[in-house]
Amino acid sequence: MKRWPAPTLFLSLLLVAAILASLGIGEMGFSPREVIQALAGRGDELTRTVLWDVRLPRTLVGIAAGAGLAASGVAMQAFFRNPLASPGLLGVSSGGAMGAVLVLAFGIGQTSLFTVPLASILGAFIATGAVMALAHKGASTEHLILAGVALNALFGAVTSFLLSLTAGQFQVSGQILFWLMGGIENRTWAHVWMGLPGVLVACFLMLPLGRRLNIFSLGEASAQSLGVDVKRLRWELIILSTVLTALATATAGVVGFVGLVVPHLLRLLFGPDHRHLVPLSMLGGAAFVLICDLPTRCLSSGMRLGVVTAIAGGPFLLYLLRRRT
Amino acid sequence: MTAIEATGLTVGERLKSLDLALPKGCLAAVMGPNGAGKSTLLQALAGLLPAKGKVHWQGRDLKKIPILDRGRLLAWLPQESHAEFAFPVRDVVVQGRYAWDDEDQGVDQILERLDLCHLAKRPVTRLSGGERQRVFLARALATEAPIQLWDEPISQLDARHALEVLRLGRQLAEQGATVLMSVHDLRLVRFMDQVLVLKDGELRANGAPNEVFTPELILEVFGVQARWENAMVLELP
Repeated sequence: MKRWPAPTLFLSLLLVAAILASLGIGEMGFSPREVIQALAGRGDELTRTVLWDVRLPRTLVGIAAGAGLAASGVAMQAFFRNPLASPGLLGVSSGGAMGAVLVLAFGIGQTSLFTVPLASILGAFIATGAVMALAHKGASTEHLILAGVALNALFGAVTSFLLSLTAGQFQVSGQILFWLMGGIENRTWAHVWMGLPGVLVACFLMLPLGRRLNIFSLGEASAQSLGVDVKRLRWELIILSTVLTALATATAGVVGFVGLVVPHLLRLLFGPDHRHLVPLSMLGGAAFVLICDLPTRCLSSGMRLGVVTAIAGGPFLLYLLRRRT
Repeated sequence: MTAIEATGLTVGERLKSLDLALPKGCLAAVMGPNGAGKSTLLQALAGLLPAKGKVHWQGRDLKKIPILDRGRLLAWLPQESHAEFAFPVRDVVVQGRYAWDDEDQGVDQILERLDLCHLAKRPVTRLSGGERQRVFLARALATEAPIQLWDEPISQLDARHALEVLRLGRQLAEQGATVLMSVHDLRLVRFMDQVLVLKDGELRANGAPNEVFTPELILEVFGVQARWENAMVLELP
């Protein structure tokens, strides 16, 4: 546990800075002092309204999506014993998006606050089940990526089909496009309640798994022989990682590469010990998403969060693949 | 007292209704040609494969032993240990303490015993095959389990380390543990108290080496002629 405090402190400070930037930067700029004053209920009313009704939900959804996706990535990498496994690459995100898009396209997305996230969770579970069927544990990188390519193509095709069906309905097709590109703008407190509590609970449940994840990631049978209840751990990993991806996708759309880049980078920097890596990834993932969200406010309106994380993460994936070969 | 006992142990076509028993304080080898079922036997005895028949550890029905207790009673060393994540060697050995819920008990002594102190901080991904084999053996020892099942623990080791592992097995047996290892080198049988000979998933012989390991058996099971000759004998200094 020696390397524990410094990276946590560093990433916590990074997250605080990212939160202040996320709350302060935009069409109306606020200094950190103004942000803190407004959050405490002081300052002028306009600042308070912008912060409480617009910026804070956006920031909280970003935190939930980033922490959820990164934690999900760590769990999947340990599960598949492959550092390249991640929700986006394996198609779990697109499965979640397909679920959400399906209920939106058929006009039942608005029936309840929980319809979209539940559909997203269902879609993500279908994707996880398919990945498990296509690429058994300990599968090679090629197997995993091919399984992901196949699922992404399949879910992408269904989503595109739904998009073309709803081409005439501007509002519905706009919502669907939102899921495809990923983004945390125009989020409301409803989205926060939809995603954040579930993500917090799932993250909390994942924290004590660290030591078992370490053993599991070096082999399933030998983990069982050392006294790890492998069957139970597998279910915990599948359920938690899928729920986290689904909730992130339900509130922020398909935001790629977070689950791949963040755990991988932190593993390179601070080592593979999951007792540290899991909480560090949650902090790092939240900071990464908030930082990637900043250019979307300053640059053109076409710049979406999913686009920025892909621009940041794509080259990183290519670098990793090159390193492995 | 019997340390590990199997009755009618069957794993599909790979292992056919095996009966065997190993006493406490015994160093034993399981031998047989490739595909004979050695690894399957070790995994089935360790409760890591769905198998028919009964397995008892220290007189307790394996099915009734809670998973955590299993980690304290029996250690299994896999034939090949892959590592995708760069854990430092010491952290891997510490994993052997999981069932005891402590971090350090005896770990440094085990590292020293297996000549791994100088590698303690090295990532397990940056080791040679033999070094990695010793690291995972150290993890098995860290469990302090009285039953040790090692699948080809010396297949990748140099002469000195191989002899040291055999000596370690002997020391553990003298301290009351039961060590069953699969080995390919038939000449190592002289180190053993008991030898199990497998072919095509069937137990062809089981007993003290000088009683069962005859040239006729070797010819039948391995298809090679065995004869005694003066040859170079390797021993630790």
